[in-house]
Amino acid sequence: MSTDFSLPQRQSVVGIWVLFFYSLQRYARAFWPIILIYAFRFNQINKVYVALSLITLFTVIIIISYLKYLNFTFALDSENKEFIINEGIINKTKTAIQLNKIQQVNINQSFIQRLIGVYELNVDTAGSNKKEGAIKAISHELALELKSRLLENEFKVINVDNEIISSEADNTYVDVAESFIKISFLSLLKVGITSNYGRSIALLLLFFSTIYENFLKFGDEDNVYKEKFGNYIDQNLVLQSILLFIFWLIFIVLIVNIFRTIFKYFNYSIKQQKGSLLLSFGLISTKSTILKPEKVQIVVSSRNFFQKKMEILELKIKQATSGEKEQRGSAIDIPGCSEAEGEAILSLLFKKIPTKGLMLTPNWRKLIFSIFLTIGLPLFAFIAIGTYLNSSIFEYIFVVPVYIVCVGLIQYFEFINNRLFINDDFIIKQSGAWDLKKEIIEPSKIQAVSTSQLFWHKKLNIGSIILHTAGGDIAFQLGDYIVLKQYINKWLYEIETSDSNWM
Amino acid sequence: MENFTNETIDTTQLPKFEEVIFTPLHSKYFTVVVINLVIIIAILILVPTVFSFFRPELFAGRLWLIIGAILPVVFIWITTFSILGYKRKGFAFREHDVLYKSGVIATNTIVIPYNRVQHVALHEGLISRYLGLAKVEIFTAGGSSSDLEIPGIDKEQAEKIKQLLMGKIQKQL
Repeated sequence: MSTDFSLPQRQSVVGIWVLFFYSLQRYARAFWPIILIYAFRFNQINKVYVALSLITLFTVIIIISYLKYLNFTFALDSENKEFIINEGIINKTKTAIQLNKIQQVNINQSFIQRLIGVYELNVDTAGSNKKEGAIKAISHELALELKSRLLENEFKVINVDNEIISSEADNTYVDVAESFIKISFLSLLKVGITSNYGRSIALLLLFFSTIYENFLKFGDEDNVYKEKFGNYIDQNLVLQSILLFIFWLIFIVLIVNIFRTIFKYFNYSIKQQKGSLLLSFGLISTKSTILKPEKVQIVVSSRNFFQKKMEILELKIKQATSGEKEQRGSAIDIPGCSEAEGEAILSLLFKKIPTKGLMLTPNWRKLIFSIFLTIGLPLFAFIAIGTYLNSSIFEYIFVVPVYIVCVGLIQYFEFINNRLFINDDFIIKQSGAWDLKKEIIEPSKIQAVSTSQLFWHKKLNIGSIILHTAGGDIAFQLGDYIVLKQYINKWLYEIETSDSNWM
Repeated sequence: MENFTNETIDTTQLPKFEEVIFTPLHSKYFTVVVINLVIIIAILILVPTVFSFFRPELFAGRLWLIIGAILPVVFIWITTFSILGYKRKGFAFREHDVLYKSGVIATNTIVIPYNRVQHVALHEGLISRYLGLAKVEIFTAGGSSSDLEIPGIDKEQAEKIKQLLMGKIQKQL
C-alpha cells in the first residue's frame, strides 16, 4: 500500500515518547553538574519537594512533546517538487527542500528510538550547512517508502537532464542489495588500537576537567577531599608515579579508543544498490547513509605504520558541500577495510582503481621553511621570554632538545611523504608524518585552480598550486612549476572541452 | 559518430594560462586605492592623538617615541604595498575561463573555467560608485577559497562581463 505523501503527515504517535526522551536528555545534559550535586546530597533535601518538582517537570515536558508532535507535519509537494516540513509550537517554521537538491536520505535509529520501535529520517542537501529536514519518529516502512520517493524523484530529474547518466544508471540499475563489504569485529579492534589517539585524549581531558571543575565549584565537604588529593600528589611526585601515570594513560586511551570505535562502527556493512552505496553501522544507534558515486569529490585513504603491518586502511569520502566548517562532519568514514575491499570501494566510486603516475616532489626549501616555523620561531620565543621577561623558564631547558628531535623528525617525515602523483584520470596527493594520507581526486572535479609563486622562486622554477573542489581544497607547495603549469593547462583543457558534470 | 576522433593531444601545444596578457585594473581605481590609503593613515594618526588628548597620563615620553618611530615605517610599508598591489592586479577573460592575478611578494593566479561558475554578482562600494566603478564577483561550488573578486572595472564593462558570464553559464545548462 502506498501512502499519499501529498497530504501533510504526522509522525508516529509513539513518537511523542521519543520527543519526550530527547527533551529530557537535553535538559539532563544541560544540568548534569547540578543533578550530580543533588544526588550526592540526596539525604539532606526534602524528598517531597524533589518528587513534586520532578513530576511538574515531567508533565511540562510531556505537554511540550505532545504539542511538538501535533505541530510537526511533513508532505511531498509533487507540483513544486518540494519536500515540506512544518514545525514549531509558537514559532512556526516551514522548511521546503527542493527534491533535486537532496543529496542523501539517512534512516537512523538511536537507542531510544530502538526501544520505542521507530526510526529517524534525515534529509541532507547540498546547499546548506546543517541537516535541513529531520523527522524524529517514523515507522520503518513509512521511512523506507518516503526515502525511495524522495530519491526516486531525483533519479528521474537526472535522467531527464542527462542522457549519459541515465544509460550508465540503467546498466547498474539491477537491484543488487547484497552487502559486498562487511567490516569484521577483528578489523574494528585493529582500528581501535591503531588510530584516533588524539581525539580520545581530547575526550578524556574534557571529561576529567569537567569533573574536576565541578568538584571544585560545588559542595563544602568536597574541599576536604581536594586537600587530601593535593597532598597525595605532592608526596608521590616521583619518576615512578609519572611512568605509572603514562602507562595508565596509554592503557585508558587504548581502551576508550577501542570502545569508541566499536560503538560507532559496529556491524559496518556496505551494500550496493542502484549504482550507489548504502552504508549502515553503529552498535547503539544504527546509522545508514546513501552514497552516490557521482557526488563524491575527494576520497582520502589513510593508514599509519601499525595499520600497514595489520593490513588495514581507512577511507574517508568527501562529498560536495557548500560551507567549509562542516566539511569534516559531512565526510563519510569507512574504518578498517582490507586492501582488497578498499580497492573494491574505490573502483566502484571511480569506475577504475586509481593508480599513481608521474611523481612530483617538493623542493627542499619547503622542509627548511617548516622547520623554521615549527622549531625556529618557538625557540626564538623561548629564548626571548627567558632573556627579557622571566628567566625561570630556563629551568625547563632540558625540554628543548627533546622538542627539537621530535618535531624535527615529524617535519622530516612529512617532507619525505609529501608527494603529488598525476596521471590521466587521477590526481593523488600524499602527505602526513605518522598517518600516511592519500587524497584522490579526478581532474574533472576541479572547480578552480590557484597558483602562487614567490618572486625569488621564479629563477628556481618552483611554485605552489591549490586545486579547489566542491569537497575541499588540495594544495601542493614548492613543486616543479613548469610541470605543474603544463598539467594545469591540460586539466583546464579537459574541463573546458567536456561537459563532464562534477556533481 | 563519423566525426568522432580521439587523437593524442600534444600538451605542449595547449593554450598556456601563464602566457595570457592581463588587463590592468581601471585607472580610476587607483583613486579608490589612494583614498582608502589616506583613510587608514588618517585613522592611525588620529587615534593616538585623540587618546593623548583625553588621557595624557597614558603617553609617557617613551611611548611617543615608539609610536613616532613605528608609524612612519608602517605608512611607507602599506603605501608601497597598496600601490604595487594595484599595479600587480590584472584580469583576463579567455574563451573558456577567467583569470585573475594579484600579489606583491607572491604572484597568485586563479583560473575558473566558465562551466564551473555557479553565479555572478556585481558589487559597488561607496567610493567606487562615485567614480562609476564596480566589482565583479564570481562564485564556484568550491567554497570561499575559490571565489573570485575583480575590483575596479568600469560599471558598463562590468555589466557586460556579467552578461557574458551569464550567457556562458546559460549555455552550459
